[in-house]
Amino acid sequence: MTPFLALVRLELAVLFGSPLAYLTLTGFAGVSALLFLEPLRVYNQLLFAYASTNLGGFDTGAIPDSVNLWDTVFFPVMDSLGLTLLAAVPLVGMRSFAEDRARGRDELLLCSGLGPGAIVAAKFAVCAATVLAMLAVAFVYPAATLERGDLGSAHLAAVFLALAGLGLGLTALALACSALTEHQLVAALCAWALGFALWDFGWAAPLTSETVARGLQALALRPRFAALSEGLVSAADLAYFAGLVAVGAAVARASFDLRRARA
Amino acid sequence: MSAPAIEARGLWRRFGRRAALADLDLRVEGGSVTGLLGANGAGKTTLLRLVAGLLLPSAGELLVGGVAPDRGDPAQRPRLGFAAEQARLYPELRVAGFLRFAAGARGLRGAEARQAVEEALERFGLEGVARRTLGRCSQGMQQRAALAQACLGDPPLLLVDEPTAGLDPLQRDAVHAQLAERSHPRTLLLCTHDLDEARALCDRVVVLREGRCVAAGSPSQLLGGDALALFADGRDEATA
Repeated sequence: MTPFLALVRLELAVLFGSPLAYLTLTGFAGVSALLFLEPLRVYNQLLFAYASTNLGGFDTGAIPDSVNLWDTVFFPVMDSLGLTLLAAVPLVGMRSFAEDRARGRDELLLCSGLGPGAIVAAKFAVCAATVLAMLAVAFVYPAATLERGDLGSAHLAAVFLALAGLGLGLTALALACSALTEHQLVAALCAWALGFALWDFGWAAPLTSETVARGLQALALRPRFAALSEGLVSAADLAYFAGLVAVGAAVARASFDLRRARA
Repeated sequence: MSAPAIEARGLWRRFGRRAALADLDLRVEGGSVTGLLGANGAGKTTLLRLVAGLLLPSAGELLVGGVAPDRGDPAQRPRLGFAAEQARLYPELRVAGFLRFAAGARGLRGAEARQAVEEALERFGLEGVARRTLGRCSQGMQQRAALAQACLGDPPLLLVDEPTAGLDPLQRDAVHAQLAERSHPRTLLLCTHDLDEARALCDRVVVLREGRCVAAGSPSQLLGGDALALFADGRDEATA
């Protein structure tokens, strides 16, 4: 077994040795199901209301264009899933480094023959796998909508990229926050704050110049996530999420040097 | 003369304004058992953590096996085992699982890893608790598990910080026996407050006070009747 795989196994055992992991996974599955079923219920009610005739029959021609699976179900589901990821991912990543540091186990790892880079990579791999497992469950809902809307497998792949990109980017941010503190709760709060701050800078538009607002919006998560959700795959959006992962990993890696040099 | 296992020249380590180590010169020969003695705050643990590469020196030079221990690349770092003062383990893991991780982290694979873990369990008297989670083990068992992980892969340099703190006499004897067995030809650097422990295990002792080496020599030279005076008021006699 390579040192990297040994740490991956250890991290999995520790993560799933805690009830929080199961609660987070179950909670995410439950919340994402509710987030799907509610717009679906509304959509069905709208269909029924518009299509019902006085004679007790149905007239599908009476349904306005604004009532469609796309706008009534798919977009609200994707937006809600994004926000649910923002809430759930910090719970997965918060303990990664913070718990080790609080208990002094980071020193044990560093003296076990593992370098800081391997430690960061192994912890990221475990958290990313957990987040992707969460997404595999949640992916069923937008996938079902797309299937019903007959939008094709290319769009389905783009939606998966959207969810995976956002999930992995948030995982890296959560790990970076966890690497900078010994307190899991502080790590989670920082990751939530950072995630929500980065989510959308639309609020800044009236307060700043157009150039600044555009620059801020380029840093925002939501427009990239929304573009991929619509099936618009661009290298810039993928590079943005890859960049988030790289920045988070670099911060986590640098935290080891900071701790060794701390005065 | 062969290259020393550890060599410090003008080594400083500051935490804010306080100097935990101040202009320390130290030479530890390969294959020796060296005890670091000193009162609380003398700089023993700081020195151990510098040697392990867990801290960076503020100034001066430190070489472990001829290389700086603070290199980021583990392939370039000296191979060592480190057992901290308070066993820093994973309470949710079983003892055998924890040692399997330690073996894997040191690059041992397959049958070689299994054999190393079985040997460590047997050597450190942990077979009876191999399937018990570390959180349910006594402090003595946890301390032994920490020592066992430090010794896995047979590192040439073993750093041990207060290995018997808080242990009962029986457990202390067991740990001493393990350390004695794991020493020569390996190099052992041991932090301790226990003069009997230093007498029993060490070839050489180094006394630190306020981050400086105030005495160094064999236990018979330094740990006589008034050994405690070395800790308290200083008797600057670097004899080695």
